[in-house]
Amino acid sequence: MNIDEIFDNTSFTIDREAHIVLNYEICTGCDNRGCVNSCPARCYTWSQEEQKMTFVHDGCLECGTCYVVCHKNAFTRWRYPRGGFGVAYRMT
Amino acid sequence: MSKTYQAIVIGAGPAGSSAALTMARAGLDVALVERGSFPGEKNMFGGLLHRMPSLEKIFPDFWERAPLERHIVKKGVTFMTGDSSFSTTIEAGSFDKPPYNGYTVFRPRFDRWLAEEAVAAGATLITSSTVDEIVLKNGKITGVTILGRSGQISAPVLVAADGVLSFTAQKAGLRKPTFDPAQMAVGVKALIDMPREMIDERFGLVRDQGFANEFVGCTEGVRGGGCFYTNYDSLSLGLVFHLASLRTSGKTPYDLLNAFMEQPQVAKMISGGKLLEYSAHLIPEGGYDMIPELVGDGIIVAGDAAAFCNATGLNLEGINLASHSGVVAGEAVIAAHRAGDFSKQGLTAYKKLLEESFVIKDLKQARNAPHMLHNNRIYHEYPEMMCDFMENIYKIEGIPKKNVTRLFLKSAREKVGLGNLLADGFSAWRSL
Repeated sequence: MNIDEIFDNTSFTIDREAHIVLNYEICTGCDNRGCVNSCPARCYTWSQEEQKMTFVHDGCLECGTCYVVCHKNAFTRWRYPRGGFGVAYRMT
Repeated sequence: MSKTYQAIVIGAGPAGSSAALTMARAGLDVALVERGSFPGEKNMFGGLLHRMPSLEKIFPDFWERAPLERHIVKKGVTFMTGDSSFSTTIEAGSFDKPPYNGYTVFRPRFDRWLAEEAVAAGATLITSSTVDEIVLKNGKITGVTILGRSGQISAPVLVAADGVLSFTAQKAGLRKPTFDPAQMAVGVKALIDMPREMIDERFGLVRDQGFANEFVGCTEGVRGGGCFYTNYDSLSLGLVFHLASLRTSGKTPYDLLNAFMEQPQVAKMISGGKLLEYSAHLIPEGGYDMIPELVGDGIIVAGDAAAFCNATGLNLEGINLASHSGVVAGEAVIAAHRAGDFSKQGLTAYKKLLEESFVIKDLKQARNAPHMLHNNRIYHEYPEMMCDFMENIYKIEGIPKKNVTRLFLKSAREKVGLGNLLADGFSAWRSL
């Protein structure tokens, strides 16, 4: 088993409207960026060269890890997806 | 969508559905609002369903009625290093006789069933609906707005059973605006498909027997642990990490889960299986000190939203606490309707009944455990020491043996340090 296989096996109904929105300027000035390694869904990517944070909400498992580990409150929005959207566990 | 109910329950998990079920059976017109397209769609856990006193009272045939998987007859703990492991297992005769001590369950099935029971009792289930804001009129709660199916529903009282992050409790001013990463953990889990006969044979099980195991030392030094459960025809394998520790570790949950699955002894347990699903969820692990205000004017907080989770020992409990708190919340709302008083004072029976129950009593008793578990040595040095000691005990090399005490002291000195061992022993004894 490997990591990419892990992400291929969970179902999503993706909302075009992101349920999490970041103020990237805060991320650039952050001294920790624990979100990048802590997010279980690999939604956060930090580029050292560009000094830039990228966030993609598509594969978000809605666990809330980023909401708790972000000590800079970089979110201009953090809510759960609109009803009917987001991750859909079948068994687990 | 706009309708008035006698109560609104936010979240159709074990707490919310238990609350809605209790109220509906008493004849209240209750709305059960769920953001998933069906109850359980967003829910996962790495645990067992233990005895459910409050649901067993409502359904005398609860254990035949609920969609369960295997009953656990065998429970183990494994201390693990990169290539070795030391396990202890208890297989008890009483675990194999009803009433069974614990079951594996699938949350998308179990939660859906419980919500359907609430509906059968008369509750109105509203799915695909994320609750957004609390509606106030003259300072009093009168309902909620909903994202998804745009609209608003009204009721004089809310039960916030919207899970670990409970934005409803936050908006009502009952929980703090931010969480302490030291009080939170994240669990990640792989569900692995495996034929039933293979599971039975591999883990020594017959009929509907199941096996559950906890692991320490499998997180590369990050505070946390692992868990393993057998379902009828699949295995659940997961890791849990304290967020304060994960955040600064630089390690990722999925790489650690991958490494765990590739540890030689774990690899043998799951070999031949096929990955079905990957999931993640937060766990409120702060215990008693994390509990928010439980009651406000027109609102009660239940389940994970109230941090009712006892995850500090070898048993990991949550659903039983959630369900019990839901039933008690339902009873408090019924009493408030009789008295026509939805103020904090009118709902206070909830708090009192919970304080008298196992929910608060158990959390209070384990109050200091979360602090003790913040000792990093538990997650790396001690498992190393245990495995090293056991390995040396069993080594027969044709040279004169050291006695057991010497072997233990050698492992302890090399892996933990004798001073640390004494200090940790003392603080463990004190917190128990």
